[in-house]
Amino acid sequence: MEKIFNEAYLRKLAADTRRNFLKQSFLSLGSLALGSLISCERKVSNSPGVDLSNPLAPQMPHFAPKAKSVIYLHMAGAPSQLELFDYKPELDKLDGQDCPQSFLEGKKFAFIRGVPKMLASQAKFRQFGETGTYLSNYLPHLTNVVDELSFLKAVTTDQFNHAPAQLLMQTGSARLGRPSMGSWVTYGLGSENNNLPAFVVLTSGGNNPDAGKSIWGSGFLPSVYQGVQCRSEGDPVLFIQDPKGVSRDLRKASIDAINKINLEEYKTYQDPEILSRISQYELAYRMQISVPEVMDINSEPAYIHELYGTEPGKTSLANNILLARKLVENGVRFVQIYDWGWDSHGTDADLAIDIGLKTKCKNMDRPVTALIMDLKQRGMLDDVLVVWGGEFGRTPMAENREGKPNAFKGRDHHSEAFTMFMAGGGVAKGVTHGETDEIGYSSIAGKVNAHDIQATILHQLGMNHENLTYEFQGRQFRLTDTEGKIIKEILG
Amino acid sequence: MKKTQKFIFFLIILSSFFWSCNQKKIDYNTQVKPIFNKNCISCHGGVKKQGGYSLLFEEEAFGKGKSGKTGIVPGNAEASELYQRIITEDSDDRMPHEKAPLTNEEISTIKDWINQGAKWDLHWAYKPVAKVSVPEENNDWIKNDIDRFILKNASEKGLKVSGQAISEDLARRSALDIIGFPTDNVFKQEFLKNSRDQNYEKYIDELLKSNTYGEKWAGMWLDLARYADTKGYERDGGRNIWRYRDWLIKAFNKDMPYDQFLTQQLAGDLLPNAGEDQFIATAFHRNTMTNDEGGTDNEEFRTAAVIDRVNTTWQTLMSTSFSCVQCHSHPYDPISHSEYYKFFAFFNNTRDEDTYDDYPLWRHYNDAQKTDIQHLGKWLKTKVSESQKNEIIGFIKTLQPAHNSLKCDKFINAELNDTKWLAMRNNAIARLKNVNLTGKKSLIMQLGVFVGGGDWRVNIDNPKGKTIASISSEELKTTPGWAIKEIKISPVNGIHDLYFTYKNSGLKDPNQTGIQFDWFYFNDGFPATTDSKTYKNKYFQLIKAKVETTPVMVENIPDLRRKTNVFVKGNWLYPAEEVNPGTPKYIGKWPKNAPNNRLGLAMWMTSKDHPLVARTMVNRVWEQLFGFGLVETMEDMGSQGATPFNQPLLDYLSYKFMYDYNWSVKKLIKEIVMSATYRQDSRATKEQLEKDPQNKYLARGARVRLSAEQIRDQALAVCGVLNREMYGPPLMPFQPEGIWNSPWNGDYWKRSEGNQQYRRAIYTFWKRTSPYPSMITFDAMGREVCTSRRIRTNTPLQALVTLNDSVYVDLAAKLSEKALKISSGKIIESIPVSYQLATGRVINAQNLSVLKSFYAKALSDFRRKKPADFPHGSKTPESAALILVNNVILNLDEVITKS
Repeated sequence: MEKIFNEAYLRKLAADTRRNFLKQSFLSLGSLALGSLISCERKVSNSPGVDLSNPLAPQMPHFAPKAKSVIYLHMAGAPSQLELFDYKPELDKLDGQDCPQSFLEGKKFAFIRGVPKMLASQAKFRQFGETGTYLSNYLPHLTNVVDELSFLKAVTTDQFNHAPAQLLMQTGSARLGRPSMGSWVTYGLGSENNNLPAFVVLTSGGNNPDAGKSIWGSGFLPSVYQGVQCRSEGDPVLFIQDPKGVSRDLRKASIDAINKINLEEYKTYQDPEILSRISQYELAYRMQISVPEVMDINSEPAYIHELYGTEPGKTSLANNILLARKLVENGVRFVQIYDWGWDSHGTDADLAIDIGLKTKCKNMDRPVTALIMDLKQRGMLDDVLVVWGGEFGRTPMAENREGKPNAFKGRDHHSEAFTMFMAGGGVAKGVTHGETDEIGYSSIAGKVNAHDIQATILHQLGMNHENLTYEFQGRQFRLTDTEGKIIKEILG
Repeated sequence: MKKTQKFIFFLIILSSFFWSCNQKKIDYNTQVKPIFNKNCISCHGGVKKQGGYSLLFEEEAFGKGKSGKTGIVPGNAEASELYQRIITEDSDDRMPHEKAPLTNEEISTIKDWINQGAKWDLHWAYKPVAKVSVPEENNDWIKNDIDRFILKNASEKGLKVSGQAISEDLARRSALDIIGFPTDNVFKQEFLKNSRDQNYEKYIDELLKSNTYGEKWAGMWLDLARYADTKGYERDGGRNIWRYRDWLIKAFNKDMPYDQFLTQQLAGDLLPNAGEDQFIATAFHRNTMTNDEGGTDNEEFRTAAVIDRVNTTWQTLMSTSFSCVQCHSHPYDPISHSEYYKFFAFFNNTRDEDTYDDYPLWRHYNDAQKTDIQHLGKWLKTKVSESQKNEIIGFIKTLQPAHNSLKCDKFINAELNDTKWLAMRNNAIARLKNVNLTGKKSLIMQLGVFVGGGDWRVNIDNPKGKTIASISSEELKTTPGWAIKEIKISPVNGIHDLYFTYKNSGLKDPNQTGIQFDWFYFNDGFPATTDSKTYKNKYFQLIKAKVETTPVMVENIPDLRRKTNVFVKGNWLYPAEEVNPGTPKYIGKWPKNAPNNRLGLAMWMTSKDHPLVARTMVNRVWEQLFGFGLVETMEDMGSQGATPFNQPLLDYLSYKFMYDYNWSVKKLIKEIVMSATYRQDSRATKEQLEKDPQNKYLARGARVRLSAEQIRDQALAVCGVLNREMYGPPLMPFQPEGIWNSPWNGDYWKRSEGNQQYRRAIYTFWKRTSPYPSMITFDAMGREVCTSRRIRTNTPLQALVTLNDSVYVDLAAKLSEKALKISSGKIIESIPVSYQLATGRVINAQNLSVLKSFYAKALSDFRRKKPADFPHGSKTPESAALILVNNVILNLDEVITKS
């Protein structure tokens, strides 16, 4: 009898604990290929729902996913929807007139003071594609794939400063300390790939996004879920390169030596954590090979460089977008791209909607279009969800900082309406959801917010945003906080 | 016993367990409350109160819902609506609504509990710590009373405790735990020679006496204090607050009793005769973030900082998750929504207002200036009242109480420059509300004049009201930056709105700013006596002196007091009823004669009636030594926190901590490390692994990966390069290029020179939005908000740090040099020396042969290479190969783990 109970107890333990699992596997498999032992065990640990010995083990989604991975292109600084997507002929007619009081009463702006003037769109709009979608002359390439895209024209937020608005968009809260979307996704789904990080961050534009690295941080989730920043200069991943003079062969020998001694240590102490360390060193070794390979865009054929407008060796948005394609191709779950410099206040030429913004668009338009085409020609567009957007929109009024007109044409931060688009990953093609008023000031139909977008992204990945939770400070937290509605209108 | 007999016996036990429930006394906390928490409280608790009924507070649970029926009638389950609603067959009425019914066991537990009188009880952690009797365990293994608790617990789980670890491991373990890195001294040598108790104790005492002890434990505290060298948010500019870190190191080193340690950090500024040290201590709660992003609302981020102070105080010092009470009553624990804001009120009256310069600041004067202040004080004593003297001296020390110009509004041709400072153009007007002018004779202010000339006035009540102060054209000269200026005020009584007006015909461009203000200080004026001139000059010299500063707490004077309101759903834009400072009803007792401010709050927390403060610290010390706390959820001991592994032991130590050790942290640590429990061997037996895989019952020694700080400090120490210099501004050891890229912030990482880069991890510059990468990889946190415990992970990126980070390659080279010296330059002989330096152990034959053959392999590899291709500037293939061997050693599990 005792034996039966004991056995049942042990069986439960074996099911519950990776520690036990590893030990048993280890005993049965000997010292062969410990790294390959990483597979889908149940999670148990001192923190809820996470196996700290193998926190990136692949997890079952809640239901069959439409998308396997996400490329999220965040234009940090907030691009002007009125120069790119939201065609408002009525606004053009009001150019130079005082902004009506009704738009100003009870409103707060970051920099507009007193009564600003209305400002016509500086771009020219035309209809494109079978869907007849309006696009501006700032985006000549994107017109070629416009029917692949689904637009959200009435995105709103409640934050009108960059850092909090970016945090809200990427972590679901305007305050620091919450896990980023990529962290939630890797926590929820783990990694299909043992040789690359699960969640990669690429930045361009000369600066990190305003909210800093916290925006790809793991918040209260274990730090293993934070985004790994891959860089186009220096080491692609920090410390990935062997020290000078160390050949691959020698590195292999050194890791073998470490692991042999660690195995001895395991035999003495029986601490399963040692076995994890052995496999993590094997993994590190494999990452050292695969990361530089994937991060090297030199090997791409000329026509691809032509398509994306990439120049190997530089830090550019185009290079990062091409890298993103390579990364998802190699099984990376979530690629987050930040391009800094979209904050078109009109305080100088770079930040003018008729000068600097054109340059930003030029550098973005071609590679984003290339990405859609490239994913499509590789048959990957169905599996990869591409998301494009900023953290808020821009005012239909010209900015008048401290009550006086700015030196160049510019627009202030605006929380009530902006445009985002999605493509691939099971999203419907050529849909436009949401609408703003005649001058693009307010969203009047089909309003969505950051939590809705997050819920939709998780849904496409096969997760119910209400069930992807983590207990912290006595409360079940989730990416979408207490909100979030899936935007069904744009789903295929 | 034969098998069948055994089985029957088992059945009897099993059945008697189920049938005896009727007789057994049901315990609310362990049996009933978990059922409520799991099934009922999400709809009938602090967040929702469906049907007007809640199970959060006793009075609510025994009261009536909207139906008018009483929820719980003690002694009568049948008459209790709660019981009726869990057993009814009517699915519309049956609770939990639209979910699976309670199990029969759960229902009968509730029924029996009600019939037995429904004795309500506070959660254990909210009851004061009582004296605990020590279990009567006795055997040779036991070293002190801690062991009796552990032994009892372990035997109940059928676990056999372990003997003492080998001395090498124990010496290394205790050094890592007490001072943060392995050390060598004569006491350690004595102990290694003979492991008797006296030798162990001498060694432990020596560690506790070492100055490096304070650095280790202050390091732990920095996570709780969310200490960083930057302000956070978008611009994340630098902040000079390292003197607080040094204060912590000193406080731990002198073993400041924990009650004083907390009091000084929470309310040092309010202590009688508070000096520089007490003020620096209050920087604990000035480690909140400041938002410099243009266009942000300063009141919003001031409020965010106060909320952070409230949440940090509860989470880190009282193991209670309080942040949920910001929006609604606590979902599970007896703390109401309004109690959050009563607590908030304690912190809502400090001078900080999210200003760019982090005001209020303590001004650090040099010794000569301090002497001047003393002389001035003596002189003032003979001229003015004590309170006037204190105000003048206080102003010298903190430049408070001043009105920040960012509180101005009603702008015409004026604006807050970058939402920070009042900037005025030609024909400008701005308002400063509610200034008490009674008795004020002088206005001292910090201003910058960009374009000289013009006319600046202070008018009362409206822009054209009576002028009470002004600056004439001649006096408005261009300033090179900020300047401090004093003007006279004509006497007015009462509280008035002030209108500042400014005209300057020199401003041709209507958009040009002529003058800008930082702060205004309305004061009684420096005493005007025949001999006052030199003293007044001294006074202005002091307040104008460029000195270093630290952000501190300064309480508002009555004129500047803010009201506190409950925020509806936690949103500061929706204030509801006003509240006064107060503490939650069910937690602790408000001490008699305690002032109703932060000092009183500190007295409440450190009173021996307080149930959480001692338990939290004991739990934290335990976690530092064993890898996890006696209550694993360091952040929450409430009813949703983890069940304690050994609550009697936690209470026993908490009681001793307060009553026997008089809050001495060193005594507490010593008691624990002297126990047989701590000294155990960490090798696990098969049985232990099966019965207690995570070692929660501590029948074997803890085996835990080192913290980010320990990994760095240990590497520096064993390689012989650790620079033991203490204190001072933060340092920048090697970091790869391109890590810092903050927008709107020109700060850059400037590598510290010489052996400054070999100082302990605690001195490394901590930038919130971009912390030191190798430490983050080993689970250090960004410190945007407090962290109660770090979750240890095991990732390939960690391997990459210790394998490839040039810091660790450099240290491998240093280790090989050190070992070579000891082995008189003999390479092969140096390998076991390196191993012993790094692990504290003698190498065994097998490991030595692994390292030797790796050396041979590396050597033949390097012999085929040119010296230009050797790592770390090595000159010979031998030294290149040896560096790699040492690199291997520094990566061993036994090096980055304590056994």
